[in-house]
Amino acid sequence: MIKKFFSLLLALTALLGLLTACGAAAVDHGGNGSQAGEAGGQDRDSVIIAISSEPETLDPCQGWGHGNTPIVQSTLVKYDYDMSFSNDLATGYNLSEDGLTWTFTLRDDAFFTDGEAVTASDVVFTFETAKAAQSSVDLTFLEAVEAPNDATVVFTLSRPTSTFLNTIASVGIVPEHAYGPDYGTNPIGSGPFKFVQWNPQEQLILEANEDYYGEVPAMKRVTIVFMDEDAALAAARAGQVDVALTAATLATAEVEGYRIENISTVDNRGFTLPVLPDTGEVTESGYPIGNDVTCNLEIRQAIAYAIDRQQVAEAAVNGYATPCYSENDGMPWNNPEVAIETDVDYAKQLLADAGWSDTDGDGIVERDGLKAEFVCLYPSGDSVRQAVAMAAAEQVRAIGINIIVEGTSWDDLAKRMFSNAVMMGWGAANPYESYCLYYSGGALKDDYYNPEGYMSEVTDGYLTAAMEALTVEDAYRNWQLAQWDGETGTAMKGECPWVWIVNIDHVYYVRDGLDIGRQQLHPHGASMPLLQNLQDWTWAE
Amino acid sequence: MKRRLNRRTKVVLYTCLIALVVAGAFIAGAAIPDSAVAADFTSTRQPPSWSHPFGTDALGRDLLARTLKGLSISLTVGTVASLISAVVAVLVGIAAAVGSPRVDAAVNWCIDLVMGVPHTVLIILISFALGRGLWGLLVGIAATHWTSLARLIRGEVMQLRSQQYIAVSRKLGKSSGWILTHHLLPHLVPQFIVGLILMFPHAILHEASISFLGYGLPPEQPAIGIILSESMQYLSTGMWWPAVFPGAVLVGIVLLVDRLGENLRMILDPYSAQE
Repeated sequence: MIKKFFSLLLALTALLGLLTACGAAAVDHGGNGSQAGEAGGQDRDSVIIAISSEPETLDPCQGWGHGNTPIVQSTLVKYDYDMSFSNDLATGYNLSEDGLTWTFTLRDDAFFTDGEAVTASDVVFTFETAKAAQSSVDLTFLEAVEAPNDATVVFTLSRPTSTFLNTIASVGIVPEHAYGPDYGTNPIGSGPFKFVQWNPQEQLILEANEDYYGEVPAMKRVTIVFMDEDAALAAARAGQVDVALTAATLATAEVEGYRIENISTVDNRGFTLPVLPDTGEVTESGYPIGNDVTCNLEIRQAIAYAIDRQQVAEAAVNGYATPCYSENDGMPWNNPEVAIETDVDYAKQLLADAGWSDTDGDGIVERDGLKAEFVCLYPSGDSVRQAVAMAAAEQVRAIGINIIVEGTSWDDLAKRMFSNAVMMGWGAANPYESYCLYYSGGALKDDYYNPEGYMSEVTDGYLTAAMEALTVEDAYRNWQLAQWDGETGTAMKGECPWVWIVNIDHVYYVRDGLDIGRQQLHPHGASMPLLQNLQDWTWAE
Repeated sequence: MKRRLNRRTKVVLYTCLIALVVAGAFIAGAAIPDSAVAADFTSTRQPPSWSHPFGTDALGRDLLARTLKGLSISLTVGTVASLISAVVAVLVGIAAAVGSPRVDAAVNWCIDLVMGVPHTVLIILISFALGRGLWGLLVGIAATHWTSLARLIRGEVMQLRSQQYIAVSRKLGKSSGWILTHHLLPHLVPQFIVGLILMFPHAILHEASISFLGYGLPPEQPAIGIILSESMQYLSTGMWWPAVFPGAVLVGIVLLVDRLGENLRMILDPYSAQE
């Protein structure tokens, strides 16, 4: 029997060994892909980057690059560092009086990497394909796209859409002549980088596009290896990668020859709190709706005021986070008034005024026999969400609300998120996200945007006005009013469907001497946003 | 008075001692309140010290308390799963031995089937199908561990049935039920108990490994497998204590229980009982 037990132990050890061996293999490939790794940055025009999440496809029509720069392809307009737009493939654009017709003129010196020119018909083809694919690019408002001549594209919308430029900036143009079912794994584009090779779950190799119409990148060869944070740290220690994505919970270790770059984000984390009572109703997919504790505004607001966000950032993620007050802190369409001060006394007052008190002395307040206690779900395995949820729950317990933090699978979470709190996260470079998060039409759907069931006519009014605004200023003003108009809104001092807690910094080990350029405020997801400005990266002499 | 204890007495005492230690670990784990394993962000990632003998994890939870609590859960899972498994084994074993050749063939086919699939894979499949958690794990372990004991019991019963005193009983007109309860079952008790206890370390290790792989207990349960898989995340940053101590305790308990089973066999088995 003892023998059996030891053989089991041996098998386990062997399994572990196998796992680490896989990790090591991936690193080796990274090293072989380019010599920069072993040479310690001797090779001044290549870079090896370790990130954790691999793209599913490199086809912009299927969702590649949505919310980020597609790198291999180029877009009509692109984001600047301050989230304003500048021309890329387009030389100019204008909007008709009624806000329904966008006309773009194209540059004539853009070529795909196979030598063919980028024409208006490629743009038409791209958007028609993307619309038909119904992927993560939402083009339901696009009625028609036409090319009157080779250098002009006309988009006709079914209703004015102020976020149209954001959409335009995230759809890379694909070549009509070289588009097929395997385009997603072997793309041809007109972006700053040329696709070379993609070994799934291993590495993606890019080369600088020497014929790029803009400035040709300094990095002639880019190798992107996919490994989890732990393996990436080991690879950095071994000097095999130049940039390694790491988790905020892990970034306590110093690695010689590397510096830690933490980049501010709108990659937010917070509690979604069901705003509806539990009346036995179910969603379209048949999952229960509502929670009798969190449906009380005073409970939600008390939680919001009780949390010391700076302390959560320090405790849970080593300080690699900033306090968060809304879905889009720091973006030009954010209302600065959403920020609140931590005020435990006020939180207690809110509860007391509404009749919540601790009558049985267990430290948890109750009202009419109902304990202020609910479950908060997080996807197990996500150490950052676990730490943030537990740190916040601990602070909230001080005012007599008991949040039971429970890890589960995404499948299970998707069924229970309408009736339980969830440690959720969003953050996008597009104000359309606010519309998805708070518009009543999107409430209680399976898409994770609005599981709390927030529905408000006032908010809907502002959101619609923002979407249909004809000028950027008007749009931004309405996005801000939706958050807080002085009386109500989606902010925590308003209806408080979310209690936002922290924006998680994205943390990378970067080899000394490598300049990763000026990074814009990163959206959700730490892997792809890093590559946004890949063409600006340089090695110091 | 005797000069020294004879070997049998020594083994009995030793066995009691081990049983006490295992029971002590179980009770200690069960007695620790949940508040002792709550997150405490003022003392995260502390190496072993007098106030935290096993150190603390990334959320500031005391690892000694978590380990003991985890052990108690492991022991519960182990006990229940191996009990179910052993009962199934005895029933199936007897059925195979005394039933018609068809039943015997069916049972043997089942045993071969379950034994043919690697335990870990089968437990993962069953646990996953039942929605993971404690329940899935229990059923998974119970459903995979009965086979070897069932085979043993079957052989034992077949051997017993060919014994003369059974034949005599039958000729004297005793019913099958009477023979079962008076001749067969008493003989099977030692097999049952020893088989049960030796199944136990397997059950615990499977519980830990399946939880380690993420198909078992949920992550906030203080199970050893969970602690070990969490520790993997921080191993590369130099935190060795969340992996070493809980792992060592698990191995220690498994070895102890294994020894307990071996000793019990020595005491109960007629061939070695008087050595």
